[in-house]
Amino acid sequence: MIKIILKNLWRRPIRTGLTLVGLSLSAALMTCLLSFGQAYESAIRTDLDRMGMQMMLVPLGCPYDGAARALKGRTLDSSLPESALIIAQKDPAVSLAAPVYTAAIPRKGEKRTDMWVGLDDATIKMHSWWKFTPGSHGFDGPNSVILGSEAAATELRKPGDRLYSPETNRDFMVAGVLERSGTSDDSLFFIPLKTAQQMFGEPGRLTAISIRLKDPSPPEIAATAARLQKIPGAQVTTLTEMLGVFLNLIASAKTLVMAITVVALVVSLFSVFNTIMANVIERTRELAVMRAIGMSKLGLFNAMLMESVVVSVSGALCGILLAATGGGWMERAVHPYLPLAPSEGLQSVTLNAALSATTMIMLAGICAGLYPAWVASRLHPSAALRLDI
Amino acid sequence: MQPSDQPVVQANKLVKSYPRGSEIVHAVVDIDVEIQQGEYVAIVGASGSGKTTLLQLLGGMDRPTSGTISIAGKEISKLSDRELTRLRREQLGFVFQHFGLLSTLTVAENVALPAILNHKPNHSRVDELLERTGIIHRRNHRPSELSGGEMQRVAIARALINEPKLLLADEPTGNLDSATSERILELIGELNKDGLTIVVVTHNEKLAQCAHRIIQLSDGRIVNTA
Repeated sequence: MIKIILKNLWRRPIRTGLTLVGLSLSAALMTCLLSFGQAYESAIRTDLDRMGMQMMLVPLGCPYDGAARALKGRTLDSSLPESALIIAQKDPAVSLAAPVYTAAIPRKGEKRTDMWVGLDDATIKMHSWWKFTPGSHGFDGPNSVILGSEAAATELRKPGDRLYSPETNRDFMVAGVLERSGTSDDSLFFIPLKTAQQMFGEPGRLTAISIRLKDPSPPEIAATAARLQKIPGAQVTTLTEMLGVFLNLIASAKTLVMAITVVALVVSLFSVFNTIMANVIERTRELAVMRAIGMSKLGLFNAMLMESVVVSVSGALCGILLAATGGGWMERAVHPYLPLAPSEGLQSVTLNAALSATTMIMLAGICAGLYPAWVASRLHPSAALRLDI
Repeated sequence: MQPSDQPVVQANKLVKSYPRGSEIVHAVVDIDVEIQQGEYVAIVGASGSGKTTLLQLLGGMDRPTSGTISIAGKEISKLSDRELTRLRREQLGFVFQHFGLLSTLTVAENVALPAILNHKPNHSRVDELLERTGIIHRRNHRPSELSGGEMQRVAIARALINEPKLLLADEPTGNLDSATSERILELIGELNKDGLTIVVVTHNEKLAQCAHRIIQLSDGRIVNTA
């Protein structure tokens, strides 16, 4: 019977093919979206874990600012006094307190904004994923700069080159260039902390302090956060809060894409409905002959429903294949536009996502096939003798 | 097949009416028919005389408005749709004027279809019937690659696959030229000689003359039986 079903579907290859294309795109979108949700959370968690910190001290503001600062080097108008760093370093639970000073330099001529980040040795120690290109080394003086891979490419600089910042009228020596990491580090200019504070006229001020604890257990994190929260003008953002902020941010984007996917799915369903209904109308006499020669109503209903299922599942499988092969390309296309995109790849099709997409599309296909199958099963066998159909 | 006393089809006071707009059309009126096993019956009459409606009733494809009809000893008004479908599948064979072959299937697959529906696929019987109907050389061809006569032979082979008690044919030569009609006529005659009960609706005089009995219909009534 399955052979008959397949042959019937391929009787109109263009119509079936177009239905398959629509279903494949819906399935691919759905698979990507479902995989993306899981991968994004995992990648963000990995990025935050990789920093080896449990919390950040930031100027009073919303958790988003703290989170953004942690991963993207964003800046704020307000800043923290260096005394906050000293208090944090003296806390018995703190293993490492790494200060950061971040500032933006608008480059109106080039229509871009450069982000400059002041770091000290403790902060560099936290960037354990940094890999230098050959010839690079760490800061070797107050006027040395380490460039992210994209920043180096934009400025056409390599280790040992001079770099002049016209906006601040400062000359730097490129001490190192980082290999591409896929993180926001790629586009940043790293300079010694003191240099950054002087350059932007805020000596003794910090924009954030990353905190690593000796014991990263939840009770210890809570107790330390409560103590550090008392530092005037500062607020503590824990890793869990940051993760929550990122996931909330991405949730709205996911909702939008899900809405588009649902629309695509509904359109595909109408396409399946149309294909199967057209098959029923086109084959009225054949179906009536099948009823006349002994196919039951239920048998005919099942056969038509099976056509719908075969089309739907085939579309879903093609879509998963499309997501697996084209997902990477799609990720590269949308990655720059993602809020706080993590460095890890986001698009690896998970079994869960593939199974969920297939099940959803198959169920939808069954729904789309119900009415045409019912119409087919209602065909009277005597129609087989009519010549006008 | 040996003739038995029990008729294959027994119809009493058959009436079939259906609405057409505001009026009721009486397609078949007070028909009593009894067809014995091994008989070859031709139903003739002008267009609209009720031939096809009668064939539908005799073939269990439709139920009468009133009257009773027994097919292979079973009163069809007492059967559920599932039982009636099973009766058609197991006891009856159908040959249609338009052949009714599935265009996507090969000749062999078309012939095998009723056996598959009956959950008793039998490849050797398919070949045997194709041999008998002289179409074995076309076994793997599709209907679109066959002539009208060849298609009707395939339809006859398909009708015989489940070894029916009764073969019902609706204008089996209606779409064929005279030479091809002759060969189909011969084939039907041979099947009857082998003991198969046959009911044919036809306009073809030659086909009707081959029958043991001719039932002539007019306005839904039997006007002559010869």
